[in-house]
Amino acid sequence: MTSHFDDDDEMAAEYVLGVTDIAARQAAEARAKRDPAFAARIVDWEVHFSGLNSEFASVPAPDLMPQIEARLFPKAPKTPRWQRFWGVGPAVAVLAVAAWFAFVPGAPDLTATLAPQAQGVSYQAALTGSELTITRVAGADADSTHDYELWIIRGKDAPVSLGVLPAEGGRLTLTDFGEGMVLAVTLEPKGGSPTGNPTGPIVAAGPLTRA
Amino acid sequence: MASDVISDLLVSVAREDRAAFRELYSVAGSKLMGVLLRILRDRTEAEDALQDLFTRVWLKARAYDPARGSGLSWMAAMARNLAIDRLRARAPLTDDDSALELVADTSPRAEAQLIAKGEARRIGECFDTLEPDRARAVRGAYLDGHSYQDLAVIHEVPINTMRTWLRRSLIRLRECMEA
Repeated sequence: MTSHFDDDDEMAAEYVLGVTDIAARQAAEARAKRDPAFAARIVDWEVHFSGLNSEFASVPAPDLMPQIEARLFPKAPKTPRWQRFWGVGPAVAVLAVAAWFAFVPGAPDLTATLAPQAQGVSYQAALTGSELTITRVAGADADSTHDYELWIIRGKDAPVSLGVLPAEGGRLTLTDFGEGMVLAVTLEPKGGSPTGNPTGPIVAAGPLTRA
Repeated sequence: MASDVISDLLVSVAREDRAAFRELYSVAGSKLMGVLLRILRDRTEAEDALQDLFTRVWLKARAYDPARGSGLSWMAAMARNLAIDRLRARAPLTDDDSALELVADTSPRAEAQLIAKGEARRIGECFDTLEPDRARAVRGAYLDGHSYQDLAVIHEVPINTMRTWLRRSLIRLRECMEA
């Protein structure tokens, strides 16, 4: 399957190896932008050589994320609605990866009624052991460009995302929860909040109480 | 292509998930710092380039296609391009002392075996089909960012000879990789 090695192959390989001067590199980049076939040759060479990447030894890097984020996100994300409703603190990093399953009912220890705040959407939530099930009891799906996202608010801490809610509700395992904590659902861009903090209006919210 | 952690994080970053972006930095930052530092050979510049790199990763993550390679390979390619662009903007290598210094670092590292897998073994075998000095020249270009001119100085051959070395090596490597 070896094809003829022509000048374009050489140009692509030289670019990937990086042996040429700036002018030739810029010419190759410009070419790749307007010529998908040439761009594909570059990718082929990148793949060919990627086996060498394991020879780059890791070097501990300082935490440059504050500078990187300051470049990319010059203004702090806005959370006025949440501050008004819940009096929460500043933005925090949220690393909640929620695994949702099909709804399975159980005998709950804690329950919450997420009363509608807007759009007539409400949910019923129940905690059995550490398993949270939440079911939509009123209202419709978000429109095609939005999703409903579930949050837990522990005391005065900032809301922590529990993930985008499946259409009718779902089930997930909670690790840190208790009576009085608040569950809230917000309307977010498709795929969930882009910032890790709530950005849209609250559609339903309510505290966890003893069943 | 099997999914990998970095690939999954890139997909989340493409959806503007900032938490995934931070996680990506903590998972891949030191490896990419290694790429940048090896090519740039200057800690301060490598750290500056690492900021550029992650800025680009955030902005370009949507272009990442998991079907076309691992997440780390995608970011490593970006890191190499960025470092080489910076390197080419500097004065070229001319004196023999620095050339000798640069020659020292082209041997495979023990770490290679840990991450290697099929691709690395494959390209390793293909490098074995090249004459040793030509294999060193190609590796020096890829791993250390040496230009034609640097390589000509290091290997003490005219620049046109080095072009011929590389062209023939690339033809043979591709034949071997695609065999």
